[in-house]
Amino acid sequence: MDTKPSIVDLGRRAAVGGLAAAGVGFALFGPRTGRDGQGQRNAGGGGGGRVVLNYWEKWTRHEGAAMQRVVDAFNASQQRIFVRYLVTADIGQKSLVAIAGGDPPDVIGLYSFNVPGYADAGALLPLDELAPKFGLNLSDYATGVRRVTSHRGQWWAAVSAAGSIALYYNRRAFAEAGLDPDRPPATIAELDAASAKLLRTSADGGRLERVGFFHPEPGWWSWLWAYHFGGRIYDPAGDRALADSAENVRAMEWMAETARVLRPERSKPFREGFGNYFTDANPFLTGKVAMIVQGPWLANLVGAFAPQFDYGVAPFAVGPGVAADPANPIGLIDTDVLVIPRGCRYPEASMEFIAFTQRQEMAELLAAAHCKPSPLAKVSEGFVAGHPNRGIGVHYGIFGSSRAFVPPQTRVWQQYKDDFDTTVQRVWRLEETPAAAMAGLQTRAQGYLDRAADEARRRGRGGAVGGVVGGAVGGGRV
Amino acid sequence: MNWRALRRELTGWLWVSPWLVGASVFMFLPMGMSLWYSLSDYPLIESPIWTGMGNYQRMMDDPVFWRVVRNTALFGAVSIPLCTVAAVTLAALLAGRVRFSRGFQAAVFLPTLVPLVASAMVWMWLFNGEYGLINRVLAAVGIDGPTWLVDARWVLPTMVIMSLWGIGQSVVIYIAALQDVPEQLYEAARLDGLGAVRRFWHVTLPMISPVILFNVITLTINTLQVFAVPYVMFRRPDGTNPAGHYYTMYLYENAFVYGQMGYASAMAWVQLLVILALTGLMFVVSRRMVHYRGS
Repeated sequence: MDTKPSIVDLGRRAAVGGLAAAGVGFALFGPRTGRDGQGQRNAGGGGGGRVVLNYWEKWTRHEGAAMQRVVDAFNASQQRIFVRYLVTADIGQKSLVAIAGGDPPDVIGLYSFNVPGYADAGALLPLDELAPKFGLNLSDYATGVRRVTSHRGQWWAAVSAAGSIALYYNRRAFAEAGLDPDRPPATIAELDAASAKLLRTSADGGRLERVGFFHPEPGWWSWLWAYHFGGRIYDPAGDRALADSAENVRAMEWMAETARVLRPERSKPFREGFGNYFTDANPFLTGKVAMIVQGPWLANLVGAFAPQFDYGVAPFAVGPGVAADPANPIGLIDTDVLVIPRGCRYPEASMEFIAFTQRQEMAELLAAAHCKPSPLAKVSEGFVAGHPNRGIGVHYGIFGSSRAFVPPQTRVWQQYKDDFDTTVQRVWRLEETPAAAMAGLQTRAQGYLDRAADEARRRGRGGAVGGVVGGAVGGGRV
Repeated sequence: MNWRALRRELTGWLWVSPWLVGASVFMFLPMGMSLWYSLSDYPLIESPIWTGMGNYQRMMDDPVFWRVVRNTALFGAVSIPLCTVAAVTLAALLAGRVRFSRGFQAAVFLPTLVPLVASAMVWMWLFNGEYGLINRVLAAVGIDGPTWLVDARWVLPTMVIMSLWGIGQSVVIYIAALQDVPEQLYEAARLDGLGAVRRFWHVTLPMISPVILFNVITLTINTLQVFAVPYVMFRRPDGTNPAGHYYTMYLYENAFVYGQMGYASAMAWVQLLVILALTGLMFVVSRRMVHYRGS
């Protein structure tokens, strides 16, 4: 008799065995829901039976540690809510996917330029009614900062940290070059003159060793210069791109002139030799670049990697025909914001946490640790005096200036900015004339805006996507 | 159908069910959904709205789309033939009686085991215009090296050199194919008076032609989908180098950075159709060029 098992018998055994093994594996190692799941009440793991909120934030290192201190203070301040601080890279993209998937965190730390797009898509909960319940009002914020919190007349975001962008310069290099370290350049002409004196090359002139002002460093705000030449790159009222405006083209011509002076064959390898921004090889700290545009957080890098570094801070220079007014400087206000996403399970608890972070002592704790100004209108006496950033007054000056501006508040800003960056690279490398490059960019950028307007109309939101907020226009002066 | 036959039938279905369920849920359903999204305006956090062929028409007028198409096509046109020739040549050298051939084979294969991102980071330093080893070596022989990662003219050569670094897997497959060529064919060729080059041309290449076809097809698919390496190497704080901007990078940006999933889906479908068309074309062309031993 043939006692050999058939293939079918073997298969059945294997199948049943496999399924049983999979079941046991799932029971032992499978996902857990319930007590410490997202937004659930948590009996353990630090929650102590409290509502657990997941807070996604982009900050790491000292910035993350400072926010963790605020979170710890909140968790210690009451027994109902426990906030988990979760560092999330590429936060704009991951939040988008999480909200679309219906599984968002409870609080997200976004960039202010994310707000219009998220708000238009209905991905955020408005704070107009929720925030005042917890004692937070728009008037609590500094004038300039207030603008980035809102879009289309609604309040969407609280400000976790705010910065304004200014000129940081190497005082020692200034002195070496025969410049007065106490008199930073106030106009583009003065900036160029200082750059000429600060320029240091190899003996044969073939290599750059130090430059004065170097536009592509750090390269985060390639679109900035138009504002310092008296223009802007976006008109929210007409939802128009202004890349080819006379002011922007003039600004690009200024940049191209610097590129010609430095010569691409010298400036390209020079740029390649820059170390990572967040290290002691930062080209400003190593002395390769003597003047840069930066935010107040730079002081933290100085403290961490070059405590003896002697720097000065001033409003960035203005172009020809634009008044250099130290009492009313031109400057970008860039902020990090806290939002409650659509689908959040505990909006009130999330708002309670956000309101806690906006208390004066918490805002100042965070701001001091980040070397930034407090985003709030009211500032304690010792905050400015004891601030770790010696240029904090300049940053506050920009906050209060009527000529300060915020990033264009349009849903397509990221795409416009990416294209701007790419186009500016071509101008910097002298591959295209400023006028031609900006004309091309204008056509493309207007295409992005028009398409977004069409989409908005299809969705019944009306055309323009640029926000008009509290009397101030997005992408313009605040 | 009797009970026994039905049981056998059901058992068969049971065995293939993991693939059927997996493919349906994770492949066919997403493909169907992406086809629907490609015909919609779908910003990811809002529901899709039907726009017909709008996304496909938009590609025609999108200069960035044509730039990434050109970059990707150029990269494929240079990289695929070069990698194929290099892999076959290396395999032919290593398949012979060479001392330490196993060691050489391992050395050639090793780079394919390095994660792409790590490999890209290393190459970034090698190609660095100021401190890079490649330019240091060039300088030692009196050549002023270019800024590989910045200069638009040198981005393509940089990508091609890096793609050559990853030919190890193809080399191993070619070596196996070469070792499978019957020795008597070479003996017959020698008796006919054929030299080494003509033996390679008339015997070796036809015998390994099915493997070449397979490798060229997989290489084409991978090359047209290139993403990780240029994403790491050509994205800087001051923007992506336009010369290092490739199709899948732009597709990803549209989907997850600009929130234009409809347009990204349309791009994905165009990419799929192009790859399918090229693969089909290669099969058609290969009918006259590929020699199958059993046929």
